[in-house]
Amino acid sequence: MRNVVVTGLGFATSIGNNASAVLDSLQNLKHGIAPFVDAIDPSNPVHVAGNIQDFNTTGYDPEDWTYPEEYNIRREVLRGLSPHGLYALCATKQAIADASLTEDLLSNPSTGLYTASAGSAGCLSHHMERMNERGVLRCYPLAIVASIAGTLTFNLVAALKILGSSCGFVSACASSGHALGYAFDEIATGRQDRIIVVGAEDGNRESIIPFAGMRALTSSKDPNTASRPFDKNRDGFVCTGGATTLILEDESSAQARGARIYARFNGWGQASDGYNVAISHPEGDGLARAINLALKATGINAQDIDYVNAHATSTSIGDTSEMRALKSVFLNNGGASPAISSTKALTGHGLSLASAMEAAFCTLSIHHGIMPGSAHIETLDPEAEGLNIIQETRPEAPKTVLSNSSGFGGANVALIFSKYSNP
Amino acid sequence: MVNPELKSFTESDEEALKNSLKRCSPETFEAAALYRKTGDSSKVPEVVLGIVERFLEPEARPRLHQSNADKLRLIEDLGIDSLTMVEIVILTEETLCLTIDNEELKDLRTLEDVKVFVDCKIKGLPLPTKPTHVDVEEIYSLMPHGHPFLFLQSATLRNNEASATYEISGTEFFLEGHFRENPVFPASVMLEALGQLAVLYLLKTERPEFEGNAVDKNKIYFTSCDGVRAHRICKPKDVLTLNVKPKRIKHPIATFEGQVSVSGEKAAFAEEITLTFDFKKRDTKTATQTTAKQGAEQLLVDQD
Repeated sequence: MRNVVVTGLGFATSIGNNASAVLDSLQNLKHGIAPFVDAIDPSNPVHVAGNIQDFNTTGYDPEDWTYPEEYNIRREVLRGLSPHGLYALCATKQAIADASLTEDLLSNPSTGLYTASAGSAGCLSHHMERMNERGVLRCYPLAIVASIAGTLTFNLVAALKILGSSCGFVSACASSGHALGYAFDEIATGRQDRIIVVGAEDGNRESIIPFAGMRALTSSKDPNTASRPFDKNRDGFVCTGGATTLILEDESSAQARGARIYARFNGWGQASDGYNVAISHPEGDGLARAINLALKATGINAQDIDYVNAHATSTSIGDTSEMRALKSVFLNNGGASPAISSTKALTGHGLSLASAMEAAFCTLSIHHGIMPGSAHIETLDPEAEGLNIIQETRPEAPKTVLSNSSGFGGANVALIFSKYSNP
Repeated sequence: MVNPELKSFTESDEEALKNSLKRCSPETFEAAALYRKTGDSSKVPEVVLGIVERFLEPEARPRLHQSNADKLRLIEDLGIDSLTMVEIVILTEETLCLTIDNEELKDLRTLEDVKVFVDCKIKGLPLPTKPTHVDVEEIYSLMPHGHPFLFLQSATLRNNEASATYEISGTEFFLEGHFRENPVFPASVMLEALGQLAVLYLLKTERPEFEGNAVDKNKIYFTSCDGVRAHRICKPKDVLTLNVKPKRIKHPIATFEGQVSVSGEKAAFAEEITLTFDFKKRDTKTATQTTAKQGAEQLLVDQD
């Protein structure tokens, strides 16, 4: 098995559109949550959402959208994108530049691209409505490629002329964790030398509001405290869109081209709850097994984990379930708790984007020597007893980091990253 | 004949039209509104051009405004793929109140094809006849010319026009001396290529003037050429787009207008290229058919 390293990062997120802005937000606990106004139903109970600055993807005509000038996207590419397709393309171009990947290596049979997104419910409903109104033959010809699950893969593979393996992952909030995990396997087994992994979400009306119907979103109106994982009085999550891209690379290939290496991606584990379509297992059973499998696969002891970037979204049941899973993994045999935080307090919950975004935060934390704090906790949930939930960012460099993600249907993914030392 | 789909043009229709043409030039909207209000189709070609332009990438747009833009090929010169074509069709349908079938799109190759097509549609005229595409093997089998003096690589024939391409390979024998150390495709050979395309047109097109006769490939000769102008130096790797249009055809004389361009840029022009031609002997053809028929009858007898 070959070693896998992270050599490039790209962000279009609520807490920053490049690595230095994101790092600054993590260091100083600056959140990216803003008031959300539903143009169609202002009376709906969703008042806050993650806000991606410097992008405006209002409406469903990509030629109306605005985005940072440096990305300069041709119409033939833009026309097939959903809002999260735009975020993803920009984050990916950024990551490619960050990794100093040449055109030759980007469009190369040894380079693949994996994506995670749930598709664009907004684009789909907009285009279907128009089709019903105007007739089948006047359906926007790119309606499907812009909308359905898979839209990120189709568009990015074509726009970037990817020649290696490509596919998309759909497991709700664990999606980009699965994308990273399977990309790891593809590189470790030698099928590919590098894989670009991107997770993204629209973060607009159609991708956010339906969660209010599930009673999963916070009713808070205050962007400064709305997302508060591990707080005793948390009452649901805040949604965000955006995109994050990581470039994973075989260690020797990265070294051969003199790439800057952020961190090592040691491996991963996954397990399912087999319990409920939307509610996580009350004891965190599946997540605990996923973490244990990741530890086993990487040969790392639980006590060697310094920092855990929790999935914790700020829902009552979900955070409790994760705290129980963490206790069962780390405290059972008299062990001590690693530092734990949920960066979703700052970003909001990115759904399919979440795992890639948080994996990138872990990578930055390892590289720059910080442990991001868990913001907005007023009263720590008593359930957290024994767990070292850090409420401030610490200037301490974690050596080995665990990042958790859990999705609908009880899909759980645990990823392990560590400080890279040149052999 | 006025498009029966044109109904009263209300203020809300005008608003909708303005909105759907918001990325086109103001002239495009005005031309479309004129047509929708009055049925005056004189500016419809401007509408079509404006809609095509709206879907082009910035670098392709200036090409639409060059002198011989009508000859631009949609795919090769303008970068329009099949999805873009559908986008153009949908906006054209909405703007001009038309319905265009997929089948009808297959034969549209140049901007001129599109303009002529839309013009026929809105006037309710029969659509132009389908072009015939002739590939390199067929060209070789039809033509009296051969290597190293055949300058047609693929051709498209219509009722009243023929076009063809030839990519200058750089290995043409005459480039060795024209000029030494500086290969430039001779203008005289461009005229030869236009003459060859005219020959192909005579051999492959059934003109009513021929009265059912077939032109004999061994009886076509060049006679004259007038009003020739060369505009552009053509070098190896340039792809020549050749175009001839018959001006007068009456046995035994056929006169064509000819033009050569490279990526839409005019390279050479000839006001008149004139050929003489003669037909295959009819009795020979009939005799052959008779023989074949007799042979078939003989075969049937044998089988009995």
